[in-house]
Amino acid sequence: MSATSKTPAGIDPRGPRFGAAITSVLLLVTVFLGLNPATESTAYALLFVITALFAVGAIFGNSKHPYGLFFKKFVRPRLTAPKELEDPRPPQFAQLIGFIVAAVGLVLGAFGVAYGVAGAAAAAFIAAFLNAAFAFCLGCQIYVGLQRIGLIKQH
Amino acid sequence: MNLSSQLIAVLGLLALATIAGLIWKAKTGTAKRVPNGEVIDLKEIGAIKDGKPVTSFGERVTFLQFSSEVCSQCAQTARLFHELEAQHDDVLHIEVDITNRLDLANKFNILQTPTTLVLDKNGVVTSRIGGAAKSQTIQDQLGSFHI
Repeated sequence: MSATSKTPAGIDPRGPRFGAAITSVLLLVTVFLGLNPATESTAYALLFVITALFAVGAIFGNSKHPYGLFFKKFVRPRLTAPKELEDPRPPQFAQLIGFIVAAVGLVLGAFGVAYGVAGAAAAAFIAAFLNAAFAFCLGCQIYVGLQRIGLIKQH
Repeated sequence: MNLSSQLIAVLGLLALATIAGLIWKAKTGTAKRVPNGEVIDLKEIGAIKDGKPVTSFGERVTFLQFSSEVCSQCAQTARLFHELEAQHDDVLHIEVDITNRLDLANKFNILQTPTTLVLDKNGVVTSRIGGAAKSQTIQDQLGSFHI
């Protein structure tokens, strides 16, 4: 029995990691394009799309996210059943953090800060890549810390 | 920046993230000894198991797991301890959700969840496991307490 009450229905933990893999590739491309003034505007457009996708994940959760839907329809049927299901809230929290970081990149880019887009994309890439490749869980690492410094209110 | 330095930067980022991931993977879920650990107050931490307050420690060892609600690895860690409990009568696992217990997070300096404190039969903290406890870590901890 988990100590957490009102736990929502579990999701396949491979779903969010599948999405994180796509996101990390897109972010790496964004970094690449963002480093060159000639392709900076393409990087900005790409980061805009990524930010919008993070927003969908942060608001509606992984199962309603395009990658989540793709995973459910085309990937999961080809896999064996997962060993265990996962709480959908941690990946949703990670999407929110991704949204904030990517949005900061958009703001920096809008103000013409040099490498602002590439820098934010690089930061988001590290988290997405660690999640996809190493099952790193951002919520596990920073949620309590953010609460302790008062950035997240208790409820 | 030209094309080749762009490529080097991106590959460097990939390498950096990989190294960070490998270091994290190696360190997470391992135990650190706590010298002169304090005695845990079961009332203070609000230890509840199967709907009832916990009043005594495991006769051999107690694993006190701090969890939060945005923690995908907490449930999986709890499952490992439940399996251990099922095999050993003298092992106790307590899970405390600190999402709304900032006092405990501060008191025990918890930065990540799960964080598991290993307690001896008197409730004294002997080790601390940061992150999802590895199976080997749990077995080693169990082995360090003789019956």
